[in-house]
Amino acid sequence: MSATLVANLRSTAGRTPDQVALVQGERVVTYGTLWDMARRFAGGLRASGLAAGDRLALGLENSAEYVAAYYGTLLAGGIVVPLNVAAKARDFEFWLRHCAASWVVCSAENRELLAAAASTRVVTTAGVAPGGIAFADVAGEFEEATAPDAHAAACILYTSGTTGSPKGVLLSQHNIASNTDAIVTYLGLTAADSIVCVLPFYYSYGNSVLHTHVKVGATIVLDDNLVYPHKVVANIARSRATGFAGVPSTFSLLLGRVTLGDFDLSSLRYLTQAGGAMSVATTQKLREALPQAQLFVMYGQTEASARLTYLPPADLDRKLGSVGVALPGIELETRLESGERCAALQTGTVWVRGPNVMRGYWNNPEASATALQGGWLNTGDVGHLDADGFLFLAGRRSDMIKTGAHRVHPKDVEEVIEELAEVAEVAVVGVNDEMLGQAIKAFVVPKSAGGVDVMRVKAHCRQRLANYKIPKYVDLVGSLPKTASGKVRRHELVERHSE
Amino acid sequence: MSPKSEIKQFILGNYLFTNDESALADDDSLLKKGIVDSTGMLELIMHIEEKYGIKVAEDEMVPANLDSVVNVTAFIERKLAK
Repeated sequence: MSATLVANLRSTAGRTPDQVALVQGERVVTYGTLWDMARRFAGGLRASGLAAGDRLALGLENSAEYVAAYYGTLLAGGIVVPLNVAAKARDFEFWLRHCAASWVVCSAENRELLAAAASTRVVTTAGVAPGGIAFADVAGEFEEATAPDAHAAACILYTSGTTGSPKGVLLSQHNIASNTDAIVTYLGLTAADSIVCVLPFYYSYGNSVLHTHVKVGATIVLDDNLVYPHKVVANIARSRATGFAGVPSTFSLLLGRVTLGDFDLSSLRYLTQAGGAMSVATTQKLREALPQAQLFVMYGQTEASARLTYLPPADLDRKLGSVGVALPGIELETRLESGERCAALQTGTVWVRGPNVMRGYWNNPEASATALQGGWLNTGDVGHLDADGFLFLAGRRSDMIKTGAHRVHPKDVEEVIEELAEVAEVAVVGVNDEMLGQAIKAFVVPKSAGGVDVMRVKAHCRQRLANYKIPKYVDLVGSLPKTASGKVRRHELVERHSE
Repeated sequence: MSPKSEIKQFILGNYLFTNDESALADDDSLLKKGIVDSTGMLELIMHIEEKYGIKVAEDEMVPANLDSVVNVTAFIERKLAK
């Protein structure tokens, strides 16, 4: 029988009920308590009429309640839809409507999400919203009648906002659990491990940190964020963490603002890096600063549950710049436009096949048919394999911008800027940024000679978009470079920025 | 311009994109109100360092020194007095 996430939590809680699962400030939650919380929540959902396959939108920050609601929803047979808590009402409305969520779980302080959740049942932490239910009151005895189907729809992760083709990546417990097992194996994770986690669980990277630690019964120390980076490092030292996971901007920030040598980080056994290419210089600095920690460079995407490849630390010097080899059980090949397989060193699109590959995009057969062909997933990423089977990425076919830990579709931002009456046209691109990897830049064509107030453009974006989607740069231009068919030449705009 | 007015205008202009002083109370938490993220905080620190010629040490990067207009102003004034 295929493994499930709920079976992993049940097994860990049964084996080591007193083992610490989560630490958040002063709050310590054991696996026994976490399992009880998840069962209680599942019982409450069932008693309130949640039917198999109903969608529950989970809009909480990292917390024990997040984990209990996630696993509780799966236990009850529902589909959990983790949402980016920093999004604005505009995105929330779209996501809730697209997945037809019947439940929303969020903080009573998340006004944007509450505003969008008018027609669903609302469960809140940190107080009770008008007409809502307190998290603690979603409680009931849970009797597991039959084991959940590991291959049934379990989780939807939205990878894009409201514009264009809605992409809610639909994963089964089997998808995520199989990927969890592979990650646990290559990281050598055990119950003796603990990680300081700054990654949000609602993204697939953070999601995989959660499930891998639950699987082995390791401890997750939750840290708010990186606004005060040296506090994160102090937390690693104080909690004697054995692991730390970040995206390139996380490591740039820690290396740039914190004297790592001032802290006792001897407990750190490993670091993981994913979420876009990290510069060779940053990689080297990181290894010099933390020589005792093995650095795992990894690559994946939400459509593949999380992980597709990893670079064994022993190969880091030999294969610098590579994202490594395919995880066990995953087949990976590069293909030419014609569909033909590339030869070694020949650049093509990366295709993968394996138990971690999504079932498809929720309620979007066209996008699913494009991404999934003959059992293979077209990742949209471009690169080559060397003679030893190590993957080197060269970019993406899509225009998606990677800024810090976030993915932003240019159209999402363009649509909002176009709402301004004084704007005739706009194009948004990602430009190189030392800290963020990419920063967002908008090229705006004013409608009249009166021009456009750049501050007003940014203020409007702030009102309508999550903060990380606000353009760092706004340039006013007379026209946009276009192809004969009228498509904006984004590459030309990117080049124009770097000139 | 006093450090307080200057810092407030920097935050209004760079994170809230407005000149409207009522958009930000002097004791609003920059973090809890979602006004700055990690890169925003770095920009604020760099601005303080450049504008006032002071060095923000690692152990000074704490909410008590940086999380509101009041806290930032008091921090700058303490540093300048040294």
